[in-house]
Amino acid sequence: MDNNKDCSMYTEHVDSGKRKVTLSLTVNGHQVVRDVDPSMSLLHFLRDNIKLFGTKEACGEGECGACTIIMNGKAVTSCIVLAVEAEGAQITTVEGLAKDGKLSILQEEFISEDALQCGYCTPGFLMSARALLDSNPNPSDEEIVEVLSGNLCRCTGYIPILNAVKRTIEREQKELGR
Amino acid sequence: MLSRFQYFKPHNLNEAVQYLDKEANSFVLAGGTDLMILLRRNVINAEHIVDIKALPETGVFEYTEGTGLKIGAAVVVNRVVDSEVVNSRYRALHQAAASLASFQLRNRATVVGNICNASPGADLPPALLVYDAVVNIAGPQGTRQVPLHQFFTGVKRTVLQHGELVVSVELPESGEGDKSIYLRQARLRGHDLATVGVAARVKPDGKVAIGIAAVAPTPLRLFALEDQINARGLSQETIEWAAEEVKEHIHPITDVRSSAAYRLQMASVLLKRCLLALIAKED
Repeated sequence: MDNNKDCSMYTEHVDSGKRKVTLSLTVNGHQVVRDVDPSMSLLHFLRDNIKLFGTKEACGEGECGACTIIMNGKAVTSCIVLAVEAEGAQITTVEGLAKDGKLSILQEEFISEDALQCGYCTPGFLMSARALLDSNPNPSDEEIVEVLSGNLCRCTGYIPILNAVKRTIEREQKELGR
Repeated sequence: MLSRFQYFKPHNLNEAVQYLDKEANSFVLAGGTDLMILLRRNVINAEHIVDIKALPETGVFEYTEGTGLKIGAAVVVNRVVDSEVVNSRYRALHQAAASLASFQLRNRATVVGNICNASPGADLPPALLVYDAVVNIAGPQGTRQVPLHQFFTGVKRTVLQHGELVVSVELPESGEGDKSIYLRQARLRGHDLATVGVAARVKPDGKVAIGIAAVAPTPLRLFALEDQINARGLSQETIEWAAEEVKEHIHPITDVRSSAAYRLQMASVLLKRCLLALIAKED
């Protein structure tokens, strides 16, 4: 099976035939240079061109948050960003959270709090939460809810996700001195 | 993506205007939160996308005493939400910005884009309207300024001509004793376009301004109603009267979000709540 098609919801990028644009950016700390179709979304670029399949497509229109990544420190829905708009950008995807094969505290807490079932929305939630905690290590419950409310989950009822983020805040303060 | 287009990112305004003027099916890209959906669905015939985020003029976001607030076309909504100046001097704009779409979209969506998209139910126009916002437009014939209340010409339609783009929006100074509020009704607490959105402002001289969305083909500034309110003087009785009278000034339709009758009623309720909040004694 073509591992580009790991999910039935995924819409294939159709090459526009227009002249390619050279794109240079940093993804999870690695410099990446590629010639890209100007009409390719950043989501499709991450998945099709550099084979990072952690970022998911669901609605494809910025409503559900499944494709959330961190671009220059901000959580954005990569399905409605053009790849060419990311010229020079610093991108972090869910693959950038684990270090040296060890899950991050945030990921560990999603597991221990049962903050996922099917897991499809999880990368998006993780990236929204990461962007929040990077800019504010000690957010209020209201701030967490506001930031995560652009991510939809049909499995968990959200409470375990909220708990996972709150546990992460405690642990990061304790273990990382944030 | 279904659409096929060339991507161009000019670094000065002349370059941008010339390109937009030269290429027939060219569209301006700022945040992309509306445009990308049209491109994805291939509902517009876009052959050229002009990304205006590198133009120096579009990055401006500044408040100047005596002049007011200038918001460039590349300034994203969350920057306005986080702005202390907006929060303290243009309260309704802060509230409207904070209620727009979701957090991630506010990291991309721009204030000017919310105007240019010209949705009848957009959140920011009511708040911008009560602050007498002026739209700065650049085009092949030079630059021009259009008051926001004259900018919208219909559903998703504006005064923008071929080759023109909006560079920024400006709000005159707002000082001490200037109060405003934005209230919206939506089907759910999350991210839905407003069923009705109302902004109201009371200036230091006691004069009222009212902006309203999702009750007509365009966002409206209710000048005639304001005059009547100002003639009566803002009081509890005037507010009760205005909450009924507002129904004569709007023309809501029935659509997927609401019936026309519900919109009329919510416009009445929200206007009353806005005005009561503005005359309430501060604690």
